[in-house]
Amino acid sequence: MTSEATVGTPGWTVEAPDIRVRGVRVHFGTSRHVLTGVDLDVASGEFIALIGASGCGKTTLLNVIAGLVPAAEGTVMIRDRPPAAGRSDICYILARDALLPWRTVLSNVAYGMELSGVGRAERERRARVYLERVGLRDVADFFPSRLSQGMRQRASLARAFAVERSLYLMDEPFSALDSQTKLLLHDQLLSLWESSHATVVFVTHDIGEAITLSDRVLVMSRRGAGVVEQIHVDLPRPRSAEALQADERYHDLYRLAWTALRASTA
Amino acid sequence: MTDMVRSEAGLGAAAGTNGSRSRSVLGARIVFLLAFLVAWQGAVALGLANPAFIATPVGVARSLLHLIVGGKLLPNLATTLLEILLSFVASVIFGVASAIVLDRSEWLNRTLSPFLTAFNSMPRIALGPLFILWFGIGIMSKAVLAFSLGYFIILLSTLGGLKNVDRDLLLMSRLFGASQARLFWHVRLPWALPGVFAGLRLSLIYCSAGAVIGEMIAAQSGLGLLVQSYSGRFDVAGVMALILVVAVMVMALTSLMDLCERRLLAWSKGSTDVPG
Repeated sequence: MTSEATVGTPGWTVEAPDIRVRGVRVHFGTSRHVLTGVDLDVASGEFIALIGASGCGKTTLLNVIAGLVPAAEGTVMIRDRPPAAGRSDICYILARDALLPWRTVLSNVAYGMELSGVGRAERERRARVYLERVGLRDVADFFPSRLSQGMRQRASLARAFAVERSLYLMDEPFSALDSQTKLLLHDQLLSLWESSHATVVFVTHDIGEAITLSDRVLVMSRRGAGVVEQIHVDLPRPRSAEALQADERYHDLYRLAWTALRASTA
Repeated sequence: MTDMVRSEAGLGAAAGTNGSRSRSVLGARIVFLLAFLVAWQGAVALGLANPAFIATPVGVARSLLHLIVGGKLLPNLATTLLEILLSFVASVIFGVASAIVLDRSEWLNRTLSPFLTAFNSMPRIALGPLFILWFGIGIMSKAVLAFSLGYFIILLSTLGGLKNVDRDLLLMSRLFGASQARLFWHVRLPWALPGVFAGLRLSLIYCSAGAVIGEMIAAQSGLGLLVQSYSGRFDVAGVMALILVVAVMVMALTSLMDLCERRLLAWSKGSTDVPG
């Protein structure tokens, strides 16, 4: 099931991609190279997961795609335009929920739309719809300090999906959650994504999470050389994170990804 | 799902203050005050203390009544209150405005910070006679003295709040397309607000002290002027009555501010994981 491609003729490129990354190099200072020539394509509507050891540059790659970190060399094109922070078709979800503590949950969910120029009545309506979808209707008027970590992250997801963008970049959004809460959040993310038809790049260090969510898992090399392996996740959709725990194929893919990750760090 | 949501939320909810507990606190306060007054009056009555030095609660009450009935209190109180309000409002406006400027310009902040520190380190009270020389014997010199104390408190507390703003909140807002103006209005300012309020409370106390002390140096009217003249006559009860008036006035102004704070900072109450 692994890609037959070797480095140099990347099999992780597709026709007419949504995201096209070519030969991207990034270094901090003069000596520390974080990325040394990364190629990557993501098809429209595809959900890909980037995994790799800490320090492999996966978050840096995500930030290059988001336009937050400039590439020293190489190109990044998102629908034939270079990325920029705050571009109106991209939504970035941070590792921390970043809810505004002085706004109620409802108002936090509406905040993204407010900044995107959605009218008051429409954003209130949509905020309520998305809160309902992540199961937070009853706490709409609470301040975030009264919510658990899992609920806060659900509010953050609702805020992100309520702006209804076509590309979502996520930087380990569930890394601070316990494993049970994670499964619940996986289901909610899947259901939000499935109705959005958006393209997603999801950075994580959790192999199970990568397989549960994505169409393709891309394994990055420890030395910042970019994607060294990919695994096509052929699990049927819609998926249920909990049901997958008992799925034979899920565990096969998990072992495959684990081996690839081990090889990448060797 | 909703049950789970409720129980999860319940865990985070603060155990609210209950009515019976706050009533018992109020009772204890009254008992404490009465005990203090009785001990004071009793010490004098039993000959343990000399009323010429410490007066008595009854004497203070009598002085207070004299001040009110004699028509002395109100005009002097008005002068002092005007000075406090003038200096406090100016401290808030200039303090917050300078904090915003210094937060936006790192260069200006670094250039000016030794001068600000130097000025803030001066004993401003000792400058009182000079302020009177420069700004006259009227309310202006007291307002300036009080402002020189209150301004730095607001400046430093606001700047502190603006400087430690959560980077993730700024980044998140910027990624949703926020302009600099919106970042300020939606993130920086609300983030700094608890710090601003802490500064307001302290600044009010310092403005009051500045006004009263300024009047004690030289004035035509004001509570400080009365304090000065009563002290000169060794009228201990009169001095205490005036200090009581100042204290009650500052407490009243502070509770007005608490009211605003409770409305504006409702989100920061009863929680532990918010800035503060």
